[in-house]
Amino acid sequence: MVDIRIAEIGTFVIYVIDVVLLLALVGIKTVHRRRVHSHDRRRQEYLGMLSRHVSYADCTDPITPRMAEDPAFLDALIDVREVLSGHELGNLEEIVARHGVSARLTRYLASRLPLGRRLRAAVALAEIGDKSAAPAMVLHLSDREPDVRIECARGLARLRWTPAIDDIVARFAIEDTTVRARFADSLIGFGTSATWPLLAYVRVNHRSEDAGPALALRTVGRIRELAAAGAIHEVLAESPSLEVTIAAIEALGDIASPESTRRLQSLLADERWQVRAKSATALGKLEDGSSIPILSEAIRDANFWVRRNSAAALARLPDGKLALYRALDGDDVYAADAAAEALADSGELVAARRRVDEGISVVEPLLAHMESGD
Amino acid sequence: MPKILVADDSETIRTLLRTALGRAGYEVDTASDGPTAHSMAKEGDFDLIILDQLMPGLLGLDVISQLREDGVAAPVLMLTGVDDGTTAAESLDRGAVDYIRKPFDMNELLARIKSRL
Amino acid sequence: MLRELMAWLGYATVFYFVAMQLYLLGFTVVSGFVLRRSHHLGRFNRGTAMLSSTNAPPVSIVIAAYNEEAGIGDAIRSMSIVKYPRFEIIVVNDGSKDSTLDVLIQAFRLEKVRIPYRPDLASEPIRAIYKGRSGVDITVIDKENGGRADALNAGINAARYPYVFCTDADVILEPDCLVHAMRRVVDDRERTVGVGGNVRPLNGSRIELGHLISASVPTRLIPRMQVLEYVRTFLASRPAWSRLNALPLVSGAFGIWKRSTLVDVGGFARGHLGEDLDLTMRVHRMHIDRGDEYRIVYEPAAVVWTEVPDTMRVLRRQRIRWHRGLMTAIRDFKGMTFNPRYGRLGSLTWGGFFLFEYLAPIIEFIGWFVVPIAWVLGALSTTSLVWMLVLAFGAGLANSLTALLLDETYGYFNSPADTSRLVAMALLENFGPRQMTVVWRMRALLGGHATRSWGNMERRGVANLAKPTGTAPTG
Repeated sequence: MVDIRIAEIGTFVIYVIDVVLLLALVGIKTVHRRRVHSHDRRRQEYLGMLSRHVSYADCTDPITPRMAEDPAFLDALIDVREVLSGHELGNLEEIVARHGVSARLTRYLASRLPLGRRLRAAVALAEIGDKSAAPAMVLHLSDREPDVRIECARGLARLRWTPAIDDIVARFAIEDTTVRARFADSLIGFGTSATWPLLAYVRVNHRSEDAGPALALRTVGRIRELAAAGAIHEVLAESPSLEVTIAAIEALGDIASPESTRRLQSLLADERWQVRAKSATALGKLEDGSSIPILSEAIRDANFWVRRNSAAALARLPDGKLALYRALDGDDVYAADAAAEALADSGELVAARRRVDEGISVVEPLLAHMESGD
Repeated sequence: MPKILVADDSETIRTLLRTALGRAGYEVDTASDGPTAHSMAKEGDFDLIILDQLMPGLLGLDVISQLREDGVAAPVLMLTGVDDGTTAAESLDRGAVDYIRKPFDMNELLARIKSRL
Repeated sequence: MLRELMAWLGYATVFYFVAMQLYLLGFTVVSGFVLRRSHHLGRFNRGTAMLSSTNAPPVSIVIAAYNEEAGIGDAIRSMSIVKYPRFEIIVVNDGSKDSTLDVLIQAFRLEKVRIPYRPDLASEPIRAIYKGRSGVDITVIDKENGGRADALNAGINAARYPYVFCTDADVILEPDCLVHAMRRVVDDRERTVGVGGNVRPLNGSRIELGHLISASVPTRLIPRMQVLEYVRTFLASRPAWSRLNALPLVSGAFGIWKRSTLVDVGGFARGHLGEDLDLTMRVHRMHIDRGDEYRIVYEPAAVVWTEVPDTMRVLRRQRIRWHRGLMTAIRDFKGMTFNPRYGRLGSLTWGGFFLFEYLAPIIEFIGWFVVPIAWVLGALSTTSLVWMLVLAFGAGLANSLTALLLDETYGYFNSPADTSRLVAMALLENFGPRQMTVVWRMRALLGGHATRSWGNMERRGVANLAKPTGTAPTG
């Protein structure tokens, strides 16, 4: 019924494939192992040599062009680059420049080489951190390959190559979620100078979409530029979107500008529990004692997360713990529980126990509450 | 010549520090994990110990505690990689005399070492 | 007439197995492309910028523990030094009959506390909650026994971070596994609701102080067979399934979920024998039904190691349990099988599960009778039968070899002995081990004997495997 020819041919093909795979497996194992060993050995040698170059200003260890082309050398270079900062980096950069390492990598990047080579070159460029490669990386921010774009943004951030910021933010609108997320990550590396382009992007786009502006706001928060608080307040006032609002609140918490205190306190009265909960956390980060009364109220909120976050926030405020002890003693059982948790987390329980162990009298309510069975 | 123990699981840091500290005139020994660092510190007679926070087997913090319990008095300099403020403060609490963040400035490290010896 | 029928059945059976291997091979090829790309990206990447610590969402690690006194202290301690900026550890003691709780209390200087615990998910009653005083952010929940799913639900209730990493007490985490997995979350925060990781058997490998020093392939057949299986599924299938957003299973040993998603979907199904499969499918179904944009992904670089059964008895129990879990899932989700409404999940991967995981043992079992009978009756030509069987065997071999090749990207098995053991296994597995699992699964299908959801692993404990100078049971 089944044509035997098909079965025969199919079988023949499959077994050829099997033999090929087996040879590949064996081949890769043996060849690969030897290559890896020799690579590691060379890398260790280069590591030693680079260490000497870095430590001795007058080091005369030669670096031949052949060495400079060796991927093991690149590995050693990147390893050293990763752990050093400061003056010695200059020595390293000089070595990199002198031997045209980046130039070669940039050529790979721009060529029509197979994707793998290009990706590795992009990653290596990002890790090496050589300023001369910056223009090429800016160019490749619009490479057709998303991973290359990501690595270029990352490399530019490590270099703090500020002219690239606008290019990166401009691509927010056209990139897909993953690339955009990584771009945002890189923007944090640029520091303060990235704040304004990001805020501009938020202002323009927050009415038409949520995800991008929310991401941008969180990024601004992580950069922690105080002056950005004002602009974020405006966005808060204008945006009805929950996602954008939450991102804005998070950002204000990270930035922790005193200007934001009043605004955040008023948000504790928002009808959306997510907004209340996030605001409570943010107020904790602002470490402003004037928030204590309002947080003491929030600790009695109907929503579990609002209570929890408010208690945690109180624990961070100077004198906030007194409010927590008061809640512990109070009539609201849920507030008391939240207060107990926050106190335990902030070390009060440990301190209390230690005092008990040492025979010193201690604030009773916390221990009593913790031990009460129900 | 003062003896220094460098304990870090990264080969790069061990090699770099061995070279740089050697050049600066110190005698250097290295360890690549917590327990080895602990036993070497106990046995050897080191004038300074440079300890990485995250090593396989034992947290750098725990190594310090154990060393202090064993009566090893050598000053410890903590290398912290995770940019986490509490770890630095905690290491000082536990008995380290100083801490330095990775990536570090070699000159600064050398200066701090010099001031401790 | 009968001859025709038998001929048809005989050929159909063999054809089925060829089709199965080709189906798997298709995914293997796709996985190859996915893995190759990550390999290139990881080549010079030192990972410092992999996940900026300010961007990393905090994670609650939830560990379900039952009768784990042997190794729980060391296991939790090694988990606590995973490299991740902010996380908490929640251990749920599921009414252990041994001294698990005491070991924990001693090791972490725990004390009973009273803190808010909201039962978003149903579970057996909580007896007490403990918090640690030793510098590790650990919470222990002591509760009445209710099974693994039930314990995880309790842990999820107590979790206070937006992402929950569910795992077991006997799992060894690689230090950067959380970073790799959460990187996928951060890449697409809004849509990513779940991330599965790569689970590898640690039998035969060297472990010290709760860390893997070097991996090797076990010499004994039973664990070795499983190493091959795990490599096949985790390297040759899942990357492809994930790329298609059709991942039907996020492993119980490594599953990161958005906490709100877990609550929305009702948590793990208590008493279910395949609670990880059930959960994954339910999350898929919920989101598809609601029309949400979502992703459940698999990250091959997020690796954990776990001990797999090394005796026939324990393996059998495990496989029967798994198959019964699969049976329940097939029943529960039959509306999704080959239903175009459920996209690639329904038609390709879940459909594949039905066809090639669920039906396979039945068809093979029937085939054991049908094919010989048909041949005896002269309904099957010997030559074509032989060719087809040989073809099926060869295709299966191709699958295994390709999976092993893909495993090279990770370079865990470095010695020639390792490779040859695995290749030998690939050749051997069709002459005994496969048939064994078929019998067990038929047993499960036809009722089998009830197994409790925990299964008795006869845990040796990570601690015992962690003798500083010794090696793991080379099993």
